[in-house]
Amino acid sequence: MAEQVIKPDLNFINDVIASGGESLKKCFQCATCSVVCNVTPDDKPFPRKEMLQAQWGLKDKLFANPDIWLCHQCSDCTAYCPRGAKPGEVLGAIRKMSLQEFSVPGFMAKMVNDPKFLLVLLGVPALLYILIIAAQGFFGDVSIPTEDGKIVYGKFLFSLYYVDTVFTAAALFAVFSLFLGVTKYWKAMSSAAPNAKGSFGKALGDTIKEIIGHNRFKKCEVTKARATAHMLVFYSFIGLFITTILAFAKVIPEYFEHFGVHLGIDNSLLDVLTIIYKIIGNISAAALILGILLVMSNRFKNQVKAGLGGYYDWLFILLVAGVGVTGLLAQFLRMANTPVAYPTYVAHLCMVFFLFAYAPFSKMAHMAYRATAMIFAKQSAREQ
Amino acid sequence: MSDGKSILVIGGGMSGLTAAIEAAEAGNSAVIVEKSPFLGGRVSQLNKYFPKLCPPNCGLEINFKRIKNSADITSYTLAEVENISGDEGNYDVTVKLKPRYVNDKCVGCNACYEACPVEMPNEFNFGLNNTRAAYIPHNQAFPFKYVIDDRFCKGAACKKCAEACKYDAIHLDMKPETVKLKVSAIVMATGWELYDTSKLDILGGGKIKNVITNMQMERLASPNGPTAGKILRPSDGKEVKNIAFVQCAGSRDENHLAYCSYICCMASLKQVTYIRDQYPDSKARVFYIDIRTPGTRYEQFYWKIKEDPNVTLTKGKVAKITEDAATGDVVLVAEDILAGKKITEKYDMVVLAAGMVPSTKASKIPADIKYTDDGFVLPSSLKKGLYAVGTVKSPLDVAKSVQDATGAAVKGIQSARRSK
Repeated sequence: MAEQVIKPDLNFINDVIASGGESLKKCFQCATCSVVCNVTPDDKPFPRKEMLQAQWGLKDKLFANPDIWLCHQCSDCTAYCPRGAKPGEVLGAIRKMSLQEFSVPGFMAKMVNDPKFLLVLLGVPALLYILIIAAQGFFGDVSIPTEDGKIVYGKFLFSLYYVDTVFTAAALFAVFSLFLGVTKYWKAMSSAAPNAKGSFGKALGDTIKEIIGHNRFKKCEVTKARATAHMLVFYSFIGLFITTILAFAKVIPEYFEHFGVHLGIDNSLLDVLTIIYKIIGNISAAALILGILLVMSNRFKNQVKAGLGGYYDWLFILLVAGVGVTGLLAQFLRMANTPVAYPTYVAHLCMVFFLFAYAPFSKMAHMAYRATAMIFAKQSAREQ
Repeated sequence: MSDGKSILVIGGGMSGLTAAIEAAEAGNSAVIVEKSPFLGGRVSQLNKYFPKLCPPNCGLEINFKRIKNSADITSYTLAEVENISGDEGNYDVTVKLKPRYVNDKCVGCNACYEACPVEMPNEFNFGLNNTRAAYIPHNQAFPFKYVIDDRFCKGAACKKCAEACKYDAIHLDMKPETVKLKVSAIVMATGWELYDTSKLDILGGGKIKNVITNMQMERLASPNGPTAGKILRPSDGKEVKNIAFVQCAGSRDENHLAYCSYICCMASLKQVTYIRDQYPDSKARVFYIDIRTPGTRYEQFYWKIKEDPNVTLTKGKVAKITEDAATGDVVLVAEDILAGKKITEKYDMVVLAAGMVPSTKASKIPADIKYTDDGFVLPSSLKKGLYAVGTVKSPLDVAKSVQDATGAAVKGIQSARRSK
């Protein structure tokens, strides 16, 4: 006999409501949302199912499922919902809560998503850099070294010791934490759908193809313009990643030099490398700022039909915007040779730190979780 | 002209007729003001009543006979109330009469229609076919007098109808008139309009030929409708053997009508019988959020329809309708909630179960009355002497409107008695 015991988790229901899903209870299960959604599979479509599960507090069913991340929050569902139940926003709230469930350590997700802790979290890199600056004596009489009277950030916070060490550590932490979180998510999905076994490689390949083309985003109707905005931000991140790698490659000889090993690489080669990554970096930064401005303008334009979003969304958006703006500003102020360049540079570093060190817990984590969900869905034939 | 017992009834539909007739038969006098050229309202457009499935025209005929037999009922068609002043027992009302261009000499011979060169959409049939600018709204219209629609008629430049009329019944130079009334009470029975389905963009309302409204379905099935009761789809006249009904087309939707329109579930279930009776091999599917058939008789009707193996009732609102351009078939997407599957299906024709909008949403009654956001009269805002009936207060079926109207007749009589 197929007997199913449903244990509603009342706290979970209240948490969803508190996390931006306040309209949850308005849903009367008409299924308009599942029909207008262009990204859901036809079998057990979302988001009506999720709305019911959330109303019943069936946390495990929601979290151990690729569907909450297959949703791209096009908001077609929210726009056409006859009750103002805003399925798009409810699923957004559930995704945010699933980060608290899966990310390691979980308390970080709570902190990153709570404005109360903003100053604390921002304080970590700020304090770190203040200590570094103080340790070098820059707050005392020691003047900041320059090169022929020109500002060179490398002389200020010598890259080998400070910038790179801090960021390498932060990046390793983020990658490791994300990996642990995503693994937990994968395991949860696997135990909920144990028979799901297709080719992992093919699923991975198809997912990458889909992300590169932003094919899912393009299926959105009400928020059509989001595909372009997201693409700009996405590709500029890749551009900036390449920039970072090349910039890092450029200083490798310096590292060796520092330890007394002379690599004998031609300086003109390094100069060419510098020109290349500066071009890529500047184009990417411009694309990043344009993209994130479009993201913001789309949110305002669609706020009636799709909602404006909450702290979780705007922290991420503003951080990305901040990284782009301070990055470009730091460059121009350095070129202008004005001392304001230094605090701008430090602000930039703090924001980059925030963005990457806390990535496993902020909206930045969506890239890992959504990609994981897409791979799982494809491997388990949940979708093509 | 007030005899101290006169009651004004605004609206000559089933509710208004009932209120006026009941009041008159109790010894009061009643005046009916109806804005269309005929009495009977929405009911005259229906093919059958639910749940008894009898033709509404027989009930209307009885009422028209009662009007004819009563010396105490005056009715104005093509008439609108322009102004109301005063209080219970002593209302002064101004009524504006639009010219009909046809006088009482009309015998209904159809010569003017035959002579008229101007085609116009047939409003009585919700645009399913055309009529002409000189026309009779339908073959059982009361009063059975032709009318000339001056929005389309070319007037003195044409005159073909007037020339064709052997009875000197047509006068194209008729002017609007004003009638002043003194009444003791006013019953508002202004009825409802069908929700404009062209606002339902994802359902193809008004765009896809074979997506029709529930009221158009009534006309398609009516013996005096555009197809003489044969249910043929608009695009190519094909027999409709595979039909879907889309419930809550606009109703229960805060983007359209925030309320349940009350009658659409019963109306669709009733219309399922039109198809199933006419084409024994036909199939019908009703997509719903909830089937709402309140009360024992309606619930029993629902159970009976459910027993038909060719009828499928599917929980899940339709939210996407497109046209198969090659065949004219209608492609519909819904989630079959109980099966947990999003389904795409093709039908010969799809009926949108569109909701009720109170006529007072668009045109207010010229009196100190409050309305809900949806345009319904707020009964608590009505002063003594003013009474609202039927769908002017909330969506309602015919049977309950008639009961409501009888109650309002009593209220009107009381107002008249009080003020004597």
